[in-house]
Amino acid sequence: MAIDPKPSPCCHQDSGPAPVEAMERELAQERTLLRRQFTLAAVLTSLVLLASLGPMVGGHHRTLGPPWFSSPWTQLLLTTPVLFWCGRSFFTGAWSALRRHSADMNTLVAAGTGIAWLTSLLVTVFPQVLVAEGLPVDVYYETAAVIITLVLLGRLLEARARGQTSEAIRRLLQLQPPTARVLRQGQPVQIPVALVAVGDQIVVRPGEKVPVDGVLEEGQSWVEEAMLTGEATPVAKAVGDPVIGASLNRSGSFTFRVTRVGGDTVLAQIVELVRQAQSSRTQVQRLADQVVGWFVPVVIALAVSAFVVWFLISGNAVLAMLFLVSVLVIACPCALGLATPTSIMVASGKGAENGLIFRSAEALETAGSLRTVVLDKTGTLTLGQPEVTDFERLPAARQSGDALLALTAALESRSEHPLAEAIVAYARSRCQDGAWAAVQDFEAVAGRGVRGQVGGHSVVVGTPRWLAELAIDTAPLAALMAPLEAKACSVATVGVDGNLEACFGISDPLKPTSAAAVAALRRLGLQVVMLSGDARRSAEAVAAQVGIVRVIAEVRPADKAAVVRQLQEQGEGPVAMVGDGINDAPALAQADVGIAMGTGTDVAIAASDITLISGNLAGVAAAIDLSRQTMANIRQNLFFAFAYNVAGIPIAAGLLFPLTGWLLSPMIAGAAMAFSSVSVVSNALRLRRFRPARLPLPTT
Amino acid sequence: MLILAAAAPLWRTIDQPVALKGLVAMVGLLVIAWQLWWFLGRHGGGVAARESEAGVQEITITVDGGYAPSRIQVKAGRPLRLSFHRIDPSGCVAQVIFPDFHKTLDLPLEATTSLELPPTEAGVYPFHCGMNMVRGVLEVVD
Repeated sequence: MAIDPKPSPCCHQDSGPAPVEAMERELAQERTLLRRQFTLAAVLTSLVLLASLGPMVGGHHRTLGPPWFSSPWTQLLLTTPVLFWCGRSFFTGAWSALRRHSADMNTLVAAGTGIAWLTSLLVTVFPQVLVAEGLPVDVYYETAAVIITLVLLGRLLEARARGQTSEAIRRLLQLQPPTARVLRQGQPVQIPVALVAVGDQIVVRPGEKVPVDGVLEEGQSWVEEAMLTGEATPVAKAVGDPVIGASLNRSGSFTFRVTRVGGDTVLAQIVELVRQAQSSRTQVQRLADQVVGWFVPVVIALAVSAFVVWFLISGNAVLAMLFLVSVLVIACPCALGLATPTSIMVASGKGAENGLIFRSAEALETAGSLRTVVLDKTGTLTLGQPEVTDFERLPAARQSGDALLALTAALESRSEHPLAEAIVAYARSRCQDGAWAAVQDFEAVAGRGVRGQVGGHSVVVGTPRWLAELAIDTAPLAALMAPLEAKACSVATVGVDGNLEACFGISDPLKPTSAAAVAALRRLGLQVVMLSGDARRSAEAVAAQVGIVRVIAEVRPADKAAVVRQLQEQGEGPVAMVGDGINDAPALAQADVGIAMGTGTDVAIAASDITLISGNLAGVAAAIDLSRQTMANIRQNLFFAFAYNVAGIPIAAGLLFPLTGWLLSPMIAGAAMAFSSVSVVSNALRLRRFRPARLPLPTT
Repeated sequence: MLILAAAAPLWRTIDQPVALKGLVAMVGLLVIAWQLWWFLGRHGGGVAARESEAGVQEITITVDGGYAPSRIQVKAGRPLRLSFHRIDPSGCVAQVIFPDFHKTLDLPLEATTSLELPPTEAGVYPFHCGMNMVRGVLEVVD
């Protein structure tokens, strides 16, 4: 074994922690600069407001301080640094955007305040022009200064809120401990996690975090995986169990062998999936996207039109200029652009915190409109670990009980079916010697059973229907079947040399949370359908135990996708399919939303739209609930952003003036704009309060 | 009442010569037409990516108030490496998003960050900043 620490394969640039830290630093710097700019702007703007109060009252040149204080020249002196130092990013941003044929928020703010400042400068230098027109010699420095100050405040609040939307990713990345205690020549050595390689042995002490993924080799413990799966209960770990990086070791010490590092770990995959979801788009966003592209040029056109129309009506260039500035600064394309992404960011992060991983924004969108949820029985509602509960030797059997078990087990040990494994395990527990007779001419028939030659006998193990097809008289079964099926058992029958000899009742215990999870889905108004390969009666018995009314039984694995398609064609969609993601892949892909139940260690379930990292079915209801709340949140945001602009721009353009005499001060317009995007982000942040309904776990 | 504060002394009709009114209207229309053409019109064709010896198409995009170039032409079915060099301090452009590829790239200031995309079918794939105000287009042609 190599003793030198090897660097692990390079992490993909956008999942490693380094750029995230750089971005964090940058965001912090941006906030500091904005705070400084805003503070200075606020002080200077208050002075400009005080200075301008005099001339604004009633058109008389009343002054609040000495005459020099309210002179236009003093105001010019105070306003200029507000615009060109505090607000310089608006002007530089607008200029570089202009050169690239693009227009954004900066364009509107720079144009609006720049025009107000330039007009005032002209008035300050050539006041005689206004006097000749019979207009009061007013300057609008305070308008430009107030707009810059308010927009800076808006940006500051927004930068703060934006930092909170990506909090979930940051917290996930911080889960990984920086170092690991690796065994080198039998001695524990502390090394950075980035240097841990696959195959290394790592020691974890009580209270420490597991640094990467692996398999426990020595010792035992209770490990808390809540940060990854959302499940609060600690999980027992013994030799051979998988451990996940970033989970917390509670009680014992153990050593594990590393199986995955860097970008392959469960944590890295979760982060990658969440980031992918955050960078995808919803259908509803596409409309907003199209509007945003046209937005700024259209607003400029409307602002210039307002100027021209008001000049033609009134001949008053100053009044027309105020309308122009108001229209420019009230419009807020940012609110439209932020409406969907912020909600998606917060929701997918919130989902990850609770072990619900959405693959894309579309998954969130579709899950919000689901009407039917199809649950696979085995492994989803049940533990997926079938056990033999009954073994009945028929009165007419020629073989002894032990001989029958040995024959059946010999045949079934060749099969990989879960029920076969249950039978073999049962036979092992009953007959101590595990050496079964050799099998010849083995044949497995999908959905029916297995047959072959064992110790000179022709043995068949399978469904009663199949045995009947093979011309074995199954009439004696009738009395035995009913009680087994009522107990929700699957029945496997054994025929030896053409004679019905025995039957097994095999049941797969329900997960303790299944009934409560189904109830939660029904409370959300969803139709719940159970899909099972079992005989109708035993499937119905399982369904009854968890409160499902609609059962589609006797479905072979290959036909699951067809059943989902049928439900969609019957107009019961959108349909979600919940399965374990391994043998349900086609059905998961066919469904409008495929939901895979993770096993806690394997999140690489690419066929699914939503992955529940814990195997807890309650996550399905939680995911659907979160999706519904997110879509409602997005609709509120988009409605607000559209309504704000659609209502604000005409008012700013003076459309209401002839009716109501309302004339929106450009300062109010600036305030409205600054707070529209803040309110969109704040509304999205409300999703952080989402709490999935916790289901009571029966004590086991 | 800030809303009405400016109204009283300002609301005054002034007779302006018809020629001046006509001139203002003309200039206004010209400004509108020019800015619509400038911002929404199509300016120049796309810039084609270079092909390296290893068969990877490469192009560097400068992020400064916009993407330069903002229209990038690449060939279908070949891997592509896009390098973004960000010199614009505005927080708006700190992220670039490729919605069709489900990719988000954080762009640290004064640094070059690369994104590798798998061979892609012909089509038009837009990309944009975190707020969707700054946009570019990836044109994949056969």
